[in-house]
Parts: sequence; C-alpha cells; structure tokens
Amino acid sequence: MKQSVIFLEDVTLHFPKLKSLMSIFSDLVKREKSQFTALRSINLEVRSGEVFGLIGKNGSGKSTILRVISGIYPPDEGTCKVAGNISLLAGIGTGFSAHQTGIENALLYGSILGHNEKEMTAKLPEILEFSELGDFINEPIRTYSAGMKARLGLAVASAIRPDILLIDEVLGVGDPQFREKSKARILDLVAETGTVVIVSHSFGLMKDICDRVGVVHNGELVMVGSPEEAISTYYEITE
Amino acid sequence: MRLKKNIGLRLLKLSLSRQSMDGPLYDTNVVEVGLKPPLLTAPIYTVKEVVKNKFLIRNLVSREIRGKYRNALLGYTWTFIEPALLAVVYYFLFYMLAGNPDELYAMWVLIGIIIWGCFGKSLQAAVSSLTRNKNTIHLVYFPRIVFPMTSIMANIVTTMMSCVVIFPIMLIFNLPFTVYVLLIPASVFLAGFLATGVGILLAPLNCVYRDIEHLVRFIVRAGFFVSPVMWTYEMALERGIYGEAAVYNPMLTPITLARHGLEGHATTLPTEIILWTLFFGGLMWLLGSIAFERYERRSVKYL
Repeated sequence: MKQSVIFLEDVTLHFPKLKSLMSIFSDLVKREKSQFTALRSINLEVRSGEVFGLIGKNGSGKSTILRVISGIYPPDEGTCKVAGNISLLAGIGTGFSAHQTGIENALLYGSILGHNEKEMTAKLPEILEFSELGDFINEPIRTYSAGMKARLGLAVASAIRPDILLIDEVLGVGDPQFREKSKARILDLVAETGTVVIVSHSFGLMKDICDRVGVVHNGELVMVGSPEEAISTYYEITE
Repeated sequence: MRLKKNIGLRLLKLSLSRQSMDGPLYDTNVVEVGLKPPLLTAPIYTVKEVVKNKFLIRNLVSREIRGKYRNALLGYTWTFIEPALLAVVYYFLFYMLAGNPDELYAMWVLIGIIIWGCFGKSLQAAVSSLTRNKNTIHLVYFPRIVFPMTSIMANIVTTMMSCVVIFPIMLIFNLPFTVYVLLIPASVFLAGFLATGVGILLAPLNCVYRDIEHLVRFIVRAGFFVSPVMWTYEMALERGIYGEAAVYNPMLTPITLARHGLEGHATTLPTEIILWTLFFGGLMWLLGSIAFERYERRSVKYL
C-alpha cells in the first residue's frame, strides 16, 4: 500500500471582509461575522507517487487548496499535514526585478522558491541552457519580451526537485515551440517528482497525466475519482 | 497561552495517529502545515528563520537597493552625494545666514538627519513591507519575517553608504580621526534595531488597516523634532525638566552616539541612558516578534 503524504482533514478556510468603521458597529449590534468561506470541510489524502488533479470553475477554491497545502493560508478549522518538502509553482516569475540582469533574477527567483546558494550555483548552468536566452542573460530583464521572461521563470521553477510538487496553471506561455518544450519539461518534472497536485483547465492534459482527479465546487470537494468520472461530474455540476 | 496548549494537543494527536497505523508508514516526518512554535520562543525562532533564509534576504536586499538607484548615471554615489549637498546647504543656512556661532552645528544636524532618516525610513518600510509584497505573499510561501527584515537591512546598507560623507567633513573641520568613529556604524545598527521591533509589531496590523501606515508617517515626521536632530543632548540638559524628559526618547542614544563619533571622542552619554535604549529595543523586539508570529498568518488574508 502506498503511503499518504498530504492529509487534509475537515479543512475550512474563511476570508475576512474588510470592515469600515460603520460596519464594525453594526456587526457588534447584529452579532454576526462578515466573512467569506472559501473552503468548506475539505477532506483529502494524496498518496505518495500519485498525480492528483483538481478541476472546477474559476473561483471555486482549487488554487486556495494548493495554497493551504503550501502553507500560504493556515486553515481556520481542521488540519493540513504533509510529509516532505513542498514546492508551489504558481505565477511563474514572482518577484522578478526589472532592473536586474537575467542571471541575478534567476538567483533571486530561485531563492524565493526556497533554494540556498549552493543549490542555485549548481543549477545555474542547466537553467541558463534551458532558458535559451544566450547573451541576453546579462541584460536587465526590463529589455526582455514577455515570452523571454516566462522562459527564464520556467527554467528556474522547473529546476526544483521537491518531494511534493503543486502546480497551479502554469502551462501555456511563450511561442508554440516553447510551449511544447515547457509542457514536456513540466511532464518530466511530474514524472521525476514523487507526488504532484495539479490545477488546470486543460482536461486533455488531466486525462493524460492524472491518476485521480477531484472536482471542487463552491469551496467544497464534491467528488474524487478517475479523470473521466471527474470530468463528467464537472460538466453535470456546471451545466 | 491558549495557542500553546492547542499546539501541544495537536502534536499529541499527531503522534497518536502515527502510532495507531501499522508498520512504518512514513519515510519522512509528517508535519502539520502552519504549526507555530510556542509564543515565547518567537524572538529566537525569528532570528533562526532570518539566518536560514540569508541567501534569499541578500537577493531581496540587492533588488530593493538596485530598484532605488536604477537608471541613474551616478547610481549608488547618490547615497553619498545627497548628504554631502545637504551638508553644504546646512553650512550656509545655519552658520553663514542664521549666524549660529558654532561652525559644527550644521554637521550635527546632518548626522542627526542621517541617523533619524535610517530609523524613519526603516520603520516606514518595515510597516508597509507585507502590503507592498502582497503579490509574492499570495503566490509563494516562505517565512514572512523576511519581508520586514529585508526592508530594514536595505535601509541600513544605504545609510552606511551615505555615512562615507563623514570622512570629508572630518577633514574640512579638522576633527580628530579616532577609534570612536566606529560609534557611527554602531548607531546606524542601533537605529535599525529600534525600527525592527516597532516595525514588525505594526506590520501585520497594517495589512488589516492601512491607517497604521499613515499614522507611522506622521510619527516619523513629528519624531524628527522630538529627537535630537535639530538640537543636541547637551542643549537639552540646559533646559531643565524638558531636557530630562528628552532622555527617555530611545532615539536620543543613536543620534548622540553618532555625533560624538563624528567629533572623535568617547561618548559622554550616561550608561543608564544607553542601557535604557537597549532595553527598549530588546523589549520591542520581544513584543514585535511575538505579535508578528502570532498574527502574520491571519493578517495576510486581508491582503
């Protein structure tokens, strides 16, 4: 039996609503809390070596689940436990600084993703090669096109080798050739990494790579099953 | 205290649940996400996190400084040119125009402005550090203490660079170059340290209500006059009761130390005052780090 590496038990997450001075008083009178419930008692176990997909409409809470697992938002109720180190790939190129060179940004982004100096110096040649930036790597990245930035970001992000990889819609950047290359790279990464949780709207991809898929609707995990079952459930719910 | 008990309970549950499963199920330890250390260890925990993330902090500091002096022909030299030009202006204003008999007064004001500026800018940057970095916070997780620490360290570094201006000043005014010049970098660090505690105390609160940012901006402006920037510790002593009250301002110590360093003699500041400042800084660090670790997670949901 495969061991589980991600456990979510009754995870509920609220987002507080910002109150104005007036509404603070009215809330005191009415004795109610103004908040938005993003996740409602989510129960989920992901086993080691499994590729787990999450599908759902925009705003259903898929990304929020990944953020709870990665520690960005602690759950308000319930617990979230993980075994092993986690890396969340979301918004490739977070924290890029327009005025620094490609290399400096590669190091910066790498450290944001949790690498130490030794790891980054070891991985730098591989990153530079994959990014295909040539001499541009020594130019400030404000001179880069959007595709070049994305290439550099993906090159750094895909150099990580975590135990658990969380991917939030990072496919589909750059020109068609690079898109193919980046898809192949992510698939390699998925194959190499032990456990993957992936959020995506491309159902074709989900069918290809996922072992199990969960459907998220209005902050609830409606069902978990094979990709085909999940996708048909998704269409039933959203129709 | 309630939180502490809670963690103990959860850890207990965790170990129970692991025992109840048959066989060695996990090769790596199962860790609860978002588990916090007991509250009172927060000051040490925070220091550990800063040390652990030093590569990240170094990169972020250089990003911040680079961004500040981007596209400038003179680049980093501006950190030095700005106070040097200010020194010239003050010299004209206070000595030649206003006829202040003390030639050095303008330089006292200058060093006061440098040290106060380090404190004020560090504090403002630390308080707004979480709100400024909200995009990063939503997309990646790393210990959030990194954000205020980065802002403060970036300010300490730029202040250190502007302190180079004291060398020409010492030459021009024939001030003795002694070992006491080291009081100047020490006071830059002290000013940064004082800003750290207060900054991390207020940063989570600023996520919820940005009023804090506006309030801090006002405090920094008003504090400029309450602290010995335009006046000195020695002047305050001649003022009786007001002078005695001024001693309780923690920023009196770094500014006065830096001035004595510039004049090239040991400080005449009583040890009690220095100890009071260190105590105040330490207390703020204690309260700040506890508050930060306690509320940072909840407050980022407001971003």
